Parts: sequence; C-alpha cells; structure tokens
Amino acid sequence: MQSNPLLGRIAWNTLIALLYLFLLAPIIVVFIISFDTRQYLAFPPESFSFGSYVKVFQNVKFISAFWRSLVIGAIVGFVAVSAGMLLSLSLVRYQFRGKAAVGFLILAPFLVPHIVLAVGIMLVIAPLGLLDSYPGIVLAHLGITIPYTVRTITMSLMAVDTRVEEAALVHGASPRMVFWRITLPLVRPGLIAGGVIAFLISFDEATISLFIVSVKASTLPTEIYHYLEYSTDPQIAALSVILILISVAVVMMVEKLIGLRKAL
Amino acid sequence: MADHHVVIDNLVKTYPGAQKPSVDHVSFSLPRGEMLALLGPSGCGKTTILRMIAGLIAPTSGAIRLEGRDVSSIAVYKRNLGMVFQAYALFPHMTVAQNVSFGLEMRKVSRAEREERVRKALDLVKLTGLGDRKVNQLSGGQQQRAAIARSLVIEPELLLLDEPLSNLDAKLRDEMRDEIRDIQARTGVTAIFVTHDQDEALSMADRLAVMSAGRLEQVGTPREIFDRPQTEFVASFIGAGTFFEGRVAEPGLAVVEGLKPLRFVGEAPVGSMVKLMIRPHRLVLAGSSGLPNSFTGTVEHIVYRGQMLTLNVRCGGRLLQADLPTHAGVLPEKGSEVTLAVAPQDVTLVGQVAP
Repeated sequence: MQSNPLLGRIAWNTLIALLYLFLLAPIIVVFIISFDTRQYLAFPPESFSFGSYVKVFQNVKFISAFWRSLVIGAIVGFVAVSAGMLLSLSLVRYQFRGKAAVGFLILAPFLVPHIVLAVGIMLVIAPLGLLDSYPGIVLAHLGITIPYTVRTITMSLMAVDTRVEEAALVHGASPRMVFWRITLPLVRPGLIAGGVIAFLISFDEATISLFIVSVKASTLPTEIYHYLEYSTDPQIAALSVILILISVAVVMMVEKLIGLRKAL
Repeated sequence: MADHHVVIDNLVKTYPGAQKPSVDHVSFSLPRGEMLALLGPSGCGKTTILRMIAGLIAPTSGAIRLEGRDVSSIAVYKRNLGMVFQAYALFPHMTVAQNVSFGLEMRKVSRAEREERVRKALDLVKLTGLGDRKVNQLSGGQQQRAAIARSLVIEPELLLLDEPLSNLDAKLRDEMRDEIRDIQARTGVTAIFVTHDQDEALSMADRLAVMSAGRLEQVGTPREIFDRPQTEFVASFIGAGTFFEGRVAEPGLAVVEGLKPLRFVGEAPVGSMVKLMIRPHRLVLAGSSGLPNSFTGTVEHIVYRGQMLTLNVRCGGRLLQADLPTHAGVLPEKGSEVTLAVAPQDVTLVGQVAP
C-alpha cells in the first residue's frame, strides 16, 4: 500500500490541534465569558465589556483575600523549600535506620485524596486552636507542598557530584562553607522549582483551605468558592482569567530564570 | 625516616562488615619535594590510602605525619593539602579564576593578593587569560590544569593526585605527564599520586610504592622496582618476564627442572625452593650452546615490533619470552633453533616458594 506522507502529516497535525483544543477549551471559554455583560454565566456572550474586571478590582473581599493568599503562598514556598532542603539532605546523603519509612511518609500525601487529608489536618489543627489563622493554613499547606519540594530538591541533590564537595573540603572549606558555597548554589534549580510549585499549590488550593479557614485567614480560592455559592456572574470568569495570567507569568519567569525542564 | 616530610605509619583501614582490611599496615615516607607513585591494580587500597591522607576517610589505626605532626585526627579542611581528583571535580557554577581562588578565600587572603596569586597559578599551568571562562568551556586537558592550579595556589603541605591522567586521551596524557612532572619540580611541592598504570608511575615518580590486596609490596626508585623486584607480584605487575622455580643447589645457583642450572644474584638458603625471573630484554642471542645460563630451544612464535622482535622460545617444556633488538644481525626465524643467554645479575630472585 502506498501511503501519502502529506495526508499523514495533515491528519497528525489535526489530531494534535484537537488535543490542544480539548485541553485549552475550558480556559478559552472562561476567557470569552469574562467579557460578557450579563449577570449570569452563559456561552456565547451577547456583548462584550471590561465591566467584570472592574468589579473584581472593586471587590474588597477578593482583593484582601488575594493579598492574604499571596503572603500565605510566599511563606509556604519559603518554609517548604527550607524543610525540603533539610529532608532531601538527610535522605540523599545519610544512611539511617528507618530511612525508607521516612521517604515513604514524606511522599504519602501524594497518594491520599485531598479531602481525606483535609479532615486529618483539621483534626490536628483544631485542638491547637489554629483554625482560621495564618499559622494554621500555612501548616496545612506545608503538609501538601513539602512532598513536592523534597522531590525537586532531591533530584537536584542527586545530580551534585559529591567529589565536588570533597574538593571544597580538602581545599579549606568547613562543612558549613561547603553547604553555602557549593551545595546550595548547585541545587538552586531544585530550590526555585520547589518554591514555585509550593507557592502555586498554596495559592490555588481550595479543598483543604475550606476546612481550615473561614473569615480571618480566608484565601482567594475559598472566597471564590463562597462567592459561587450565592452568585454566578462573569466576575468569577474575570477573576479566573487573572489567576491564570498570574500562574502563566510565574511559570514563564521560572522558565526564563532556570528553564522549567531543567528544574523539574 | 623520622625527619621525612610525610610519614605514613602502619596505616590500617577496615571497612565495617568487611572480612579483610582494605589497607593493611602500610608504612612509607617521603622527603620534602619528592613525587611518589602509589601503584597497584584496582581495589588494592591505593585510593583508600590517598583519601585517608586527605582526611576524607578516617583510618582504623595508624598515623599520618606531616612535618612530624600526626594529622590523622585533624579535620580535612584544616590539613592544608591540595588534591587533584580523577574527574577534576571543579566547581561547575564558578569560573576558572573563582575555582582557583576558592582555597584562598577560605583562608581569608585579601582580594588583591588573591588576584595576584590566582594569576600566577594560571600562568604556571599555562591557562593565562582563561580565568573568566566557565568550567564547562574548558577542554579535558584545560580542566586538568585548572584543577592543578586550584590545588597549588594554596601552597599546600602536600599535593595528592588521584589517577591524574586517566581521563585524558593518549596524546594529551603524554603531554600532561611531562607537564605535571615539570610543575611539581618547579614548585618543589611534595606529591603523592595514585595510578594503576605502570608506565605513568615509572616515568613520573621519584619513587614507587607498589601495592597488592591492601599490602605494600615494595617501595623503591623506578629502577629498583623494575630491575630488582622483591616479590613475585611486583615482578609480574611491572613489565613482562619469564618465571622459573628452582632448588638452590649452592649459593647463587639454582637447579631448574628441564633446564641447565641457573646462576642468579641474591641470598637464598641452600636447599630452598626459589622463584626466579628473567626480563625479556635481558636475554641475548648466544653463539654457542655451551655457555652457562643459556637456553637452547625452538622459536615457536615471532612478533615484529619495529625496534624489537619478541620471540617465544620453547625450551625444556616451557615457554621463554625474549625481546631482541632488530639491529642484532641475523635474526632467528620461526621454527629455527636458537640459543639465548642471560647474565647472572639479570636473573632476579623474586621470592621463596613455601615447601
């Protein structure tokens, strides 16, 4: 049978295009709806305006929740990276009893549904009196983000040649100097990737946050959820577009900084 | 020995759970400015010794003395050593100059002095002007040079080199061999290098320490090691040779089964069984078969090597290897009968055979 290479290529490209369309369809629909002028969510829109975006920026609840989420995300990112670095060092560089168990426990949150984790974390945090507080939500988010930072940092750390660290030691660097001057700079891609992922997860996370926070420490996703309970207007679509743009901006920044492929 | 610059004294390393020690009571010493090769097959413990001297692993027992001071309990980074690693282990996130400067920074040398010393060190290893390069922009040979500069810039008490030439291709290896030798001679630094390559050891080192299975077999100058190997291992590991077992009939004369009595140099009690060795290039063509220390046999195999002709001669049931210079007149042919002779001082006693 004679195959037609041109026809094959067109078919292949069409398939790829359709796959991408399928993946991007929700975002495209949200993007279009965000410019609708009606007070309910429907597709396609009748007329277009930036009205919803203006409303989002005037919504005090959204704006204050946005700043709270930003701060929580930043703290979670920093702490998750620090803890992840220490855990990775112990897992990669040291032999100790129960190492496999520790490694498994760290990765366990990957395997447990978030709703189950949420109940568990709430039951731990409630007696400590940390419900609806910054430390509470930060602790909760650390539980689900540390597995990611451990993973990215462990990958980076395994790629570091220990002889390079030995060379620093022999030539006069104390173990502390070796850590700051050699090891840390060499795992930088893993630190940045882990930090960004932890930030994005914390910034996006809704399920667990809903169990932990209500008013004082409410995050943007929980505010969106509560808003959706009572109204469904294009404001939500506009907010979604803004959040997507923020995520894209962060990912692009990382890509430019270290190359995402290298980091992951 | 006691006033030697570097003294390794009864060093032992037994890894936890290991049946036998990896390094078994090894002692040797170096005067200031000497270059010593630790030579042996892989797994003989030579790298373990180097790493113990560096302080990267702790000895089970024994002492490492620098300038008479036992450093075996001093932390790695306080020993003031230079070390060139097998794969160079340059800091990949720094420039060449930053790599070289690192040891000086750790010693809190002022910026101006650092720059001056880095420049000199780069000049010494012929990397002048390449200080701003990234490490991955250097060729293998240049990385090697950068690693040497990084180790020498701190003016170390002792320079350690772990298989310094093994990562280079053949042409570069010869060049770096002379280069390292030259740099070591010019700086006068005491140096120990590890290698499994006998040519490297013979041509670079002032003295060799030959190791096997964790034990030190022999320490000596290249000549002593090659011409007067004291053990069968040293004799067979370095250079080719034909080995014989014989019974000592009278002092300096051994009876070897199937051959004429062999005269040799060396002390062995009459009646004992000894192991003797003859280097291929020590055998010469002899005119008559009546000479002492001569072997008459049939040429079984010939390999022409340009300057040398390697013969395998079947003689008294055993195979004798001989290297003859190709300018030696009429050369034997395969299948012909030849007589080879050897001087008694070229029959080396390499050991006694346990009865």
